[in-house]
This record gives sequence, structure tokens and C-alpha cells, in this order.
Amino acid sequence: MNAVAGGVRWFLVPAGMAARRMIADRSGLVVAVFFYLLVSVTLSSLWRAAAGHQGSVAGYSADSLTWYAFAAEAAICGIAVRLVDEIGEEIATGVVTAEMLRPASVVGVRLATVLGRSLTLLGVLLVPGTALAWTIAGPPPGLGPMVALVLPAFALAVTINVIMQHVAAAASFWLRDIRAAWFLYQKLVFVLGGMLLPLEVLPDSLRTVASCLPFMAMAYVPARLAAGHPAPELLVVQAGWLVVAVALAVAVFAAGQRRVEVTGG
Amino acid sequence: MSDDGECGEAIRATGLAKRFGAAGRSVEAVSDLTVSVARGERVAYIGPNGAGKSTSIKILTGILRPTAGSARVLGLVPWRERRRLAARIGTLFGQRSQLWPDLTARQSFTMLAAIYGLGSAKERLRVAELGELLGATELFDAPVRQLSLGQRMRCELAACLLHDPEILFLDEPTIGLDLLAKQRLRDLLVHLNGTCGTTVFLTSHDVADIEHVAERVVIINAGRVIHDGAVAALRRDLLATKLVDVGLAGPAPTIDLPGVEVVEHNDTVLRLAVDTASVSIRAVLDTVLDRCEVSDISVVDPPLEQVIARVYTASSAGAPEDASTGSSGPVELPATDPVRVGRQG
Amino acid sequence: MRGTVAVLRAAMRDATARRAAFWWQISVMVANDLIWVLFWMIFFTRVPSVRGWDSEKVLLLFAVLTTGSGLALGILANCRRIPVLVREGALDEVLTLPVSPLRHLLVSRVDTVNLGDTVFGVVLFLAVGRPTPLRAAVFVAGVLLSTALLASFLVLIGCAVFVTGDGESSGLGTHAILVLSSYPADIFQGATKMLLYTVVPAGFVASVPARLIDRPDLTDAAALVLITGIFAALAWTAFTLGLHRYASGSGWRRS
Repeated sequence: MNAVAGGVRWFLVPAGMAARRMIADRSGLVVAVFFYLLVSVTLSSLWRAAAGHQGSVAGYSADSLTWYAFAAEAAICGIAVRLVDEIGEEIATGVVTAEMLRPASVVGVRLATVLGRSLTLLGVLLVPGTALAWTIAGPPPGLGPMVALVLPAFALAVTINVIMQHVAAAASFWLRDIRAAWFLYQKLVFVLGGMLLPLEVLPDSLRTVASCLPFMAMAYVPARLAAGHPAPELLVVQAGWLVVAVALAVAVFAAGQRRVEVTGG
Repeated sequence: MSDDGECGEAIRATGLAKRFGAAGRSVEAVSDLTVSVARGERVAYIGPNGAGKSTSIKILTGILRPTAGSARVLGLVPWRERRRLAARIGTLFGQRSQLWPDLTARQSFTMLAAIYGLGSAKERLRVAELGELLGATELFDAPVRQLSLGQRMRCELAACLLHDPEILFLDEPTIGLDLLAKQRLRDLLVHLNGTCGTTVFLTSHDVADIEHVAERVVIINAGRVIHDGAVAALRRDLLATKLVDVGLAGPAPTIDLPGVEVVEHNDTVLRLAVDTASVSIRAVLDTVLDRCEVSDISVVDPPLEQVIARVYTASSAGAPEDASTGSSGPVELPATDPVRVGRQG
Repeated sequence: MRGTVAVLRAAMRDATARRAAFWWQISVMVANDLIWVLFWMIFFTRVPSVRGWDSEKVLLLFAVLTTGSGLALGILANCRRIPVLVREGALDEVLTLPVSPLRHLLVSRVDTVNLGDTVFGVVLFLAVGRPTPLRAAVFVAGVLLSTALLASFLVLIGCAVFVTGDGESSGLGTHAILVLSSYPADIFQGATKMLLYTVVPAGFVASVPARLIDRPDLTDAAALVLITGIFAALAWTAFTLGLHRYASGSGWRRS
């Protein structure tokens, strides 16, 4: 038991510290909550107006679209903005190289910090988000058992996203300017990840592509569940992507570390 | 009102005060500052960090509004007639740039010339003139970010002289420059003052700037003027001390000369405070080189803070009530302050 | 005026001095805008129209928004940087020049990344806006008013820094107007919609000009001019009064 506790301590301690720092940053939280509610209200207004015309869009009612919009935005806004840029910059300036000298796993400690921060932020966003969505669209569809699916889906979505952003940021080991990588990543999440629109709205070909990519695990899955579609199998899909993401991150950072050792950063 | 042309006054400030911050936690940066500068004068305006130098310059150039007091610069009230005043004065700040880093200085001059309403013929003429005066013509065509700091400062100076200002305000113009560049800038300022009659009002931390550029020195501390007099007098009274730092390669005897005070002496370092009024630096160096095994030697001015501290000592000795004024913000000196030890000894 | 033009020309030269970065930023912005067009096109495959806005009108709105916001944030780039300029004491340089400080500030920085938006917006209008001389004229006038309104709004909220000392509230306002302007104002109802035509005039930034291009209307046009004028006057006044409280930040650090 103690061995297990010792084993996860390296993860829990930095995560807990990051979470406390996030809570302490009041003005940062105010900006994040404001931006999240602003975008969610705007997008849900658009979808409600769209559904109002014909009753529903791609099988979603106006109310379920509202919940979709608030949930999808929360999953994305729950992550510190421009993470890829930040990590890329830190790799470029040697901060990460310095961290590699520490005994703990570089990727692990970083992930712990960012996850601690992001999951805290997500939790903070979900409170006013739920309240506002409830006011606009009434109680969440399938309230009750769905919560058991939605909350883990949110946690998985943020975790996969954070890990994949690290993978994208690791391009900094090889490229000087990774803004392109970040830019592309962001847009893929917006459209193919289901942040701006439910994947059911996409044309068939695009939808097939989207369902084969990890981005759908980052916004679409929790949003789809929150919109009242009972689909536990989506959690299995997320779990699969989590495994892939972790494997990719470990591989890419190991390669990057080798490169730093060879070239001196 | 008072015509600046007639009375020959470039700057007159009376009872200026400036408070920053909200009522409860405000800080008085300048309090009851009274100073005047005649046209064509070269004045050094000095004081320790936080003394209110920059704040007062910013009030005199119209950037800040004072909380109290009055001021006229070239007969204009700076904060009310800022634009008219700006057209007649030049400002150079060591910490800030008028020039755009990615453009050549010449491109920035074109923009400034348009702002100051210079025609393009006049602009070309003036830029050529300044290029020659500052020995900087060849620097004008390189992007400013590629210039060294010294080269950039010459271009900055050209930028603030473009419209032929009547007063030049310089805030720490030599900061960060190497010795040669500093000397060059100082010579330029004196030359400019001599040929064009430009009034020079300069702040600096560097005692040498004051000695080489200014004729008159105004020392302020805690927002008030604590000394106002000719540099020649200051030099005689307060800048006569030089510090001689000797790096020792072996054990050395104590130097015992009239006018020389040993400030620090251990196995590797010998520091002397030399009163140049009673003994020449050369005599001291000769003695040191004769008696010690020297690995390194240098002669430096005492830091400005010490000069100022001595102004306090002098003024409080003459007028005891000044000491209480001084206590509102005296310069704090380290316990081992060499000059003070030297002077008191 | 000659001074203002010279400053703008210098700012433009400065922004384009590094060619590679310049074209890269332009391309990134164009790609970004293309994604939004893609979004709207997908959206309108499922929904014929939203409260009177079909795909053509929404693309027109998007053309006005990208052109106008590109000009405001690109050519008048300092309009959203008032808080940071004031806090850093960067108004000092401007105040030593014999110029109107706000006018000089506004034109003295060009952000190329936003110019990509302008290029995109114009091309989009030419491609999908069915340009006729009249429609093009209304587009140009609408875009210029939209630019002025957006810049004025950003300056106005930026001036809060003179009182609060931080840029947080203006950051929120910037987010708000940019997000809200990106969608037809009619998707909102009630008090929110009212807000978009008054306090946060997002409705006038893109929706009204886009509507005017399609259906010129005197009331709409007058309202657009009036609200732009009001916000410009408010911005000017707030900045001028704010300058009295300007403390020059931590500029000239070594005093």
C-alpha cells in the first residue's frame, strides 16, 4: 500500500500544488469563466436559433444543443490556453532540458502540473456553466445516471487533450517555430473535435475522418453525453485514445531527450 | 506673462509637487521643488534613485501634471501647452527610444520631420548637418536594432535635435555606454551648447557626466533641492576625492602620505581615498608602484551617492536645521563608506 | 495630417521589415478565416437560415467583420493596447512629441497578423458578396465605420486602466465584442440583443453593415453613424481625461 502511495506521490504532489495555484489566481479564473460563458452563450444562442427554425438539428433538440455547446466549450476552455505554445517555448529556451536533470519523469511531472491546473479549471467552469445552461435549457437530458458517464468523460477529454498538446509541443525539439503545429492542432479540435459543431452535423466524409482521430475524444464525447445521448461505448473510445496518447508522449519525449543529449539542446 | 526671451530664463519651476497613487497609499515623488535655468546653461540635475529627478523632468516636459506648484518652460506651462512646448524642446532618454528598431534612423527621421512640420528639403539638409556634427552619417542607413548602444544613442541624439530644439532634456543619456562612447556624447553636448546655444538639462548617475558636461549642478533628494551651485565649486569642494584601487600580488606596507586615507587593506586589495587638493594622483601612484607588488590598479570617481552624502554633511554642519530636513530621506551609506571615513580622518 | 500619414507609413514599414514573418502571419490568419468559412458552410448544409440570415448573408457579415476588425486591430493596433501602454509608461514618448497623443498612438503600430484578416475579408466580399458599385461602396463605408467603432470601443474600455490601474476589465470587453460581433446579432433575443446594440455595440460592428449592403436603409445607416460617433467621442474624452491621471508607469525605471 505504501509502495503504491509512494508511486503516485510524485504525480499527486505537483498536481495538488498546481491546483492550489490555479485557485489562488483569482483574476485568471475570472477571465477564464467570463470567456467560457461568453462563447458558450453565443454558440448555444446560434444553435437554439438554428433549431428553432425546424425543431432540431441533426437529431439534437434546441435544449440538447445548448447542453452540447456548454459541455464542449468547458472541455476545451478547461485547458490553459496556448499550452502548445507555452511548452514549445519552454523547450526552446531550455527550461525543459533543465527539468530533465531531475530524477522524476519529465513528462510525468509536467503532465501532473498541467492536469492539476486544467482539471481544477474545468471544475470551476462546470459550476457556472451548468447553472447557466440549466437556466437556458432546463435540466440536463438524462440527469442522474448520465452524470456517472459525463464526469469521467470530461476528465478523460481534458487528460487526452493535455497529453496530445504535449506531443504536438514536442515538435519544438526539432522545429524552431511550432506556431504552425499549434494552429493546426487548435483548428482540428474546433472542427473535427466537435467543439464548434456536433460531429453529426458534419458531412459524411468529414465525419468519418473525424471519428478516426483523437480530437473527437477531447470535446465531442463529453458534449454528446451531456446532450443526453447514452453512449457508454464512447468512454471506451476515450480510454483507447488515452493509451495511444500516453504512448506517443513517452516516445516523443524520449526521442527529444536523446536529441538534446546529442545536440546539446 | 513673464517673457522667456526677455528675462533669458529657459526653465522656472516654483513649489512643484507630485503625488502618485490613491489617497491612502500615495507617495510624494516631488515636493516643493523650486529651480530655474537660464537660457544657454548646461545644468546637471542629479540625485539618488527615487529622488524625483525623472518625475520633475516629466513635469517640465509636459508628460505629467503636478499636484501643486507652477512652472514655465520657454514661457509655456508644460502640462497645458504641451504640444507647443514639445515643438521647441528635445528629449532624450537613455531608457527609451524615439527610433523604431526595424527601421533605419533615416526612416524614423522622415517620420519625425513630418511630425515637426519640417519640409523635405529642410529635413534632408538638417539630417546631413546632424550626420556630420555627430559623425553618424554612415549609421543612419542601418536598421537601428543592428547598431551598438553607443551608435544608437548618437542616432537618438540626432532624432531629438532634428527640429533644432531650444532646450535639451536628457535623462541618463550615457547609461550603458562604454567609456569612449560616453566621452563622445559628452563632447557633443558641450559642442552643441557652444555652437547653437542649446540649453542642456541632464540627469545622470555618473559623476564624470556632471564634471564634463555641466556648468552648474542641482542636487535633489526626496523631491527637494538640497544643493544648487557651480560645478567648479563642487569640484573643488566635493569632487576632489578620487579612489585608487590597487590589486596586490603580494604583501604591502601601509601607504602613509598626506591627503591619502587607507580605506581598505588586506592581502589582495588596497583601496585609497586621495584628496587631490593636497596630493596629486601621480605622486600616489608613484609611491604605490614603488612600495607594492601591484597586479592591477585603477583610479575612479567616488559614486554619486557618496558625493551627495557629503553635500548633506557639509550643509548640516553649516546649518543645523538642515539636518532635520535631511532626515526625511537621507542617503543611506554603508558603514564602511570610504570617502566619509577619509574625510573625517 | 502629414505627420499622421508619415507615422502610419513608418509603422507599416516597421511591421513589414521582416518579410518572412510578415507573409507567415498573413497566411496563418487567412487559414484561420478559411476554417470559419468552412464552419459556416457546414452549418448551413443542415440549417437553411437562422432568423433571416442565410449562408450568403452570414459570409457577408464575416467579410465585413474580418475586414473591419483587421483594420482596427492591424492598422490601429494600439487601440487594444492602451492598458499595457499606460501601465508601462509607454505614453512618455508620444507625450514628448507635438502631436495629438491618441491619434499618434493609434497609427503608430501595425500588427501584420491582423492585416491577413483584412486581405481575407476583401477577397471574401469580392467572391461571395455579389459586388456591384453600390454594394461595394456600402461595403467600404460600412467597413470604415465598423473599424472606427471597434477601435473607439477598445480605446474606451482600455481607458479603464487610468482608474483601475490594470487591464483586466478591458481584456474582458475585448473578448466580448470580438466574439459577439462574429455572429448575427439576431441570434440573440431580449436584453442580450438590446445590449449588443447599445453598451457592447457588437451588433453595429458587423451585423448592421452587412444588412446595409444587402438592403440599404436610412435608419440603419443613421444609427450606425450615430453610435460610431458617440463611441468615438466617448473614447476621445476618456483618453484625454485619463491622461491627467497618467503616472508614466515604471518607465524610466532608473530615475
